[in-house]
Amino acid sequence: MEYVNPEGLRLDGRRPMEMRQLRAEIGVVSRADGSAAFEMGNTKVIAAVYGPREVQNRSQQMNDQALVRCEYSMANFSTGDRRRKTKGDRRSTEISLVIRQTMEACICQHLMPRSQIDIYVQVLQADGGTRSACINAATLALADAGIPMRDLVTSCSAGYLNSTPLLDLNYLEDSAGGADVTVGILPKMDKVTLLQMDAKLPMDIFENVMQLAVEGCKAVESYIREFAILLKKKMGPGYATAILSKNGGSKS
Amino acid sequence: MAGKTGSMPATYSPSPATRKKKRISIANGADWVRPDNRSFYQCRPAYLRTSAVSTAAGSAYAEFGNTKVIVSVFGPRESKKAMMYSDTGRLNCNVSYTTFSTSARGQGSDNKELSSMLHKALEGAIVLESFPKTTVDVFALVLESGGSDLPVIISCASLALADAGILLYDLVASVSVSCLGKNLVIDPVSEEESYQDGSLMITCMPSRNEVTQLTVTGEWSTPKIHEAMELCLGACSKLGEVMRSCLKDVVTDSKE
Amino acid sequence: MVGLSVGEKNFIKHGIAQDLRNDGRKRLTYRPIYVETGVIPQANGSARVKLGATDVIASVKAELGRPSVSHPDQGKVSIYVECSPTAEPSFEGRGGEELSAELSTALELCLLGGKSGAGAGIDPSSLSIKEGKVCWDLYVDCLVISSDGNLLDALGAAIKAALSNTGIPRVQVREAASSDEQADVDVSDEEFLQFDTNGVPVIVTLTKAGRHYIVDATSEEESLMSSAVSISVNRQGIICGLTKRGGAGLDPSVILDMISVAKHVSEQLINKLDSEIEAAERANEEEP
Repeated sequence: MEYVNPEGLRLDGRRPMEMRQLRAEIGVVSRADGSAAFEMGNTKVIAAVYGPREVQNRSQQMNDQALVRCEYSMANFSTGDRRRKTKGDRRSTEISLVIRQTMEACICQHLMPRSQIDIYVQVLQADGGTRSACINAATLALADAGIPMRDLVTSCSAGYLNSTPLLDLNYLEDSAGGADVTVGILPKMDKVTLLQMDAKLPMDIFENVMQLAVEGCKAVESYIREFAILLKKKMGPGYATAILSKNGGSKS
Repeated sequence: MAGKTGSMPATYSPSPATRKKKRISIANGADWVRPDNRSFYQCRPAYLRTSAVSTAAGSAYAEFGNTKVIVSVFGPRESKKAMMYSDTGRLNCNVSYTTFSTSARGQGSDNKELSSMLHKALEGAIVLESFPKTTVDVFALVLESGGSDLPVIISCASLALADAGILLYDLVASVSVSCLGKNLVIDPVSEEESYQDGSLMITCMPSRNEVTQLTVTGEWSTPKIHEAMELCLGACSKLGEVMRSCLKDVVTDSKE
Repeated sequence: MVGLSVGEKNFIKHGIAQDLRNDGRKRLTYRPIYVETGVIPQANGSARVKLGATDVIASVKAELGRPSVSHPDQGKVSIYVECSPTAEPSFEGRGGEELSAELSTALELCLLGGKSGAGAGIDPSSLSIKEGKVCWDLYVDCLVISSDGNLLDALGAAIKAALSNTGIPRVQVREAASSDEQADVDVSDEEFLQFDTNGVPVIVTLTKAGRHYIVDATSEEESLMSSAVSISVNRQGIICGLTKRGGAGLDPSVILDMISVAKHVSEQLINKLDSEIEAAERANEEEP
């Protein structure tokens, strides 16, 4: 199958280095402490944050830092073919863990000892790159909840098909069987917090693909910052400060 | 023996006044007879017996025509450790079908829908404040499904609760009617249920005249709901009396 | 559940008694309804309904299936509700299953009519393609994203809106060689048929708090309910289903009174919902 045509266009008309359209929204779940919706093309997820609050299960309480928990769930209608899944299958447990570990890297856990932060991500539509979309949504939701963070984690994926590195794979490209690299970075600190790959790639190509994914993460970051500035303009100062204060101040 | 008094089938049917009304509706669709030759407003003969399971705190067996149900009640016993403190008691209901309960060999699995319906029907009748921090378990097993399963389960469960000595505001009696074309038929059998246009089930506490659960499916006009409710409530109070006498018989029996 | 102090409970109760609720509403007024259709492009139809802070999505998917033996001339409709933990942390893991099951059962009771199909919101015989061979199976999947009380009414409205948005592909049955062979069907990917959603009822839940009842209770108000009755009413004012929630018993005359109140309220709700759905559909068409 041809994933990049001779004109250099992909199945959905994008160029290899082009991302899908991003769209963010904050405060989508009014009863949560913080929430956000994030769209990457047709992939659409919602994240809600509850906390910091009292630890529900006493045995999990930590006296020196906050407990971060995460649950990932997919709606029945999120995939093309409808199926009843049982909650807590292997895939969602794994993604929950990945998201939790990624978010733990950016939350200042030591500032909130003996408390608990719950992150719930809900996939409304899955079209490839749900992991990345979930992480981006979770970052925004945490910022909306005003939880102290070291940096905004952003994530993006890249792949390698028809000997071309491709940014932000959609479902068709994802299921083509080629390599799929998901990267999560802390852009201001210039650190990688998440790196996952399936299939195999030669070392030099891997470096290229990963570099592309990192570029994607940075693009997501600049989008999120623009979004926050826009919010600030719309809602007046004081709003969206959580997003800007810690990180935006140093942007110059 | 507790069961002996119950071995004479206790039957009940609504009062003559409501029966008269029925004759008219029969005339409307006279070409039609019920599968078991009952008249439209006649319930199936009911056989009730308490203390059917010796290991349970209380239990009851009910047989309405082909519908056979056994319910056992355990508790009040300590709630699970994971449960938070509660100053009222908890009620836990579980309804399951045997593999041979229906004509097609079933899975015999738990029925969550019926379990939650049973819970809702019973919780209003139990004085939950009387057993704080503890749980009462109600396990219902449908031995044979012959139509109107849920009403039979509910009535039988309330009898079992009474047998277990759980404080109740009143016994809970439940009756359903099916709407078939223009006619209302009380206490439908499976066959009637399978082609009914609508159904109405009432669960009530007869001596308090309170409805604890009411479900309606299908299209109903208000006068029709009125009529069906009257019919059900009448039958419920009759059934309540039968249940009461079943409990009384046990007591007088044990005294002898 | 919401934790309320005795004082707060009394405040809400007295407000209800004086026909002025916490958010300024009267006892029988709904919160503003916001409808968006076509939110899930992969589905045959979908809608998102916001009722105050309650936020739900319903999607309709149609699949080809075999009719059941007892009703060979009818398709099947099933409703599933999922409660996302985003709505309430206690829905985490298996925590939401109980509520999901309760809501699914109540919705099926209120919307699908009797076993023969009479009184159903969607006429199941309209889903038949070839009697005894092929039919459409409709899967209605709902997701609760945010919950602030009155989930059942919101879900009912979302399903109604999703059905109005649903297009079922036109199918042509090729004559099968022998009668017991699986029928051959052509599914068109251009021509879509719309449902007649005129008959789909709305659900009105009346919550009894103290001596009065209110519609569209918030979760604060729900926490002091003694019982609630959900009644589904269609445009003709005919009751299509009814189910009761909550423990305390009700006098039969109270229930009959609730039914007449629900009938009255449903008229306004249906009109409001219809205009919202129409506006949402129009907004969809304008977008490229």
